[in-house]
Amino acid sequence: MAVPIMRQRDMLIASIQVAQTDDDLLGLRDQLAAQVGDVRAKGVIIDVSALDVMDSFATRTLRSIAYSSRLRGAHTIVVGISPDVAFAMVQLGLDLGAVSTALDLDDAITELEAHRQIEHQA
Amino acid sequence: MEDLIATADGAVALGMGLTPQSVERRQKVVGLTSDDLGRIARIREPIVRHAEEYAGAFLAYLGELEEARHFLSNREAVELSRRLKVDHMIAMVSGRYDVEYAEQRLKLGRLYSRAGLETVTFLGAFADLLRRVSATILKGARSPEEAFDDFVAFEKIAFFDIGIIVDVMVFERERIISRQQDSIRELTTPVLQIRDRLLMLPIIGMIDTHRARLLTEGLLHAIRANRAKVVVMDVTGVSAVDTKVANHFLQTVAASRLMGATVIVTGLSAEVSQTLVNLGVDLTGLQTIGDLQGGIEEAERLIGYQVVYTAPQVSEGRRPPSPSA
Repeated sequence: MAVPIMRQRDMLIASIQVAQTDDDLLGLRDQLAAQVGDVRAKGVIIDVSALDVMDSFATRTLRSIAYSSRLRGAHTIVVGISPDVAFAMVQLGLDLGAVSTALDLDDAITELEAHRQIEHQA
Repeated sequence: MEDLIATADGAVALGMGLTPQSVERRQKVVGLTSDDLGRIARIREPIVRHAEEYAGAFLAYLGELEEARHFLSNREAVELSRRLKVDHMIAMVSGRYDVEYAEQRLKLGRLYSRAGLETVTFLGAFADLLRRVSATILKGARSPEEAFDDFVAFEKIAFFDIGIIVDVMVFERERIISRQQDSIRELTTPVLQIRDRLLMLPIIGMIDTHRARLLTEGLLHAIRANRAKVVVMDVTGVSAVDTKVANHFLQTVAASRLMGATVIVTGLSAEVSQTLVNLGVDLTGLQTIGDLQGGIEEAERLIGYQVVYTAPQVSEGRRPPSPSA
């Protein structure tokens, strides 16, 4: 099932609602890569709170979304990793690398706004 | 109370797996044969006659031993064990050694362990008891050879009993230990909120894989429940750290980060930090600060709190009552 991507000012919010197949995730990656340029987004938020499994493929895809969005000028934040998923990921040695994480949407938006202010000042 | 003890006895019997099969197996292990049952029937009468005397002597023997002082100070336990001991002596020569018999031994064993009687002390008193029984048997026997055979038969029952009683005492001890371990586990992993979105995790004592897991899970759930942004993990109370423990800490930090929380580790002692360096553990992924105070200050800064000193305020409760009140 495709993931809906919402636009909120200069942010893109992708909210994953159901378990995703590998193809779905690749679709999400391509869609986000295209839209970041189309809407000149400064931030991307990916909500994974509905996922109760996070495997190596999903982790890698999230990483590549974040890195490619970075190249197109948007900061990516993954939100909503549940305690059990976080613990399982660490046990499996999965790592999101330099990708930012936040507890929920609220925190992610606050963080993106802080980020934007720093960029403005710079 | 009696009911409670009876229920607990049942639970122990179940835990030890006391079934007709296992009781039969125990009989086989001590080498009890039908031949022996015949011999025991022959010595039944004098032993039943002296049962009260044996029970008295058993407790008197314990009275001589310093190790049993604690047990003997519990008058209720002593009275109960005297009664059970008389029953025990009579049952020993009854010729019926079934589950019911085993359960009665179990009851006695639990009584001893609850009252704090050590296994060694119990065995000493039991050995003395056997000596007395052997004297009785010798007196009633037609020849020393016959007395010896009778006593060997009786001894098999005695060892059958000791097997059960010692098992119960060991089982009870293990149960206490495991219960204490459970409570230690629960006690030492509290997650405390010191400010809005700021949690503290004081770690005390030894960390093993199981505890590290509980600790991490507890912290992760607390992060979500309190919407924590920063966690100060204080390890002042951790005296020994090895590669494994360091890895557990790293995992806790990584998992918290996945949930959007920053972890600051504080209170690494000089010994611990030197051990870690000598072990070659890479802790560059950890944000560490010397002491708890520094950690909390840094956490406040990260969240955006600013603590300002003002003159001490007199609290409402300490003010002298005004005349109008």
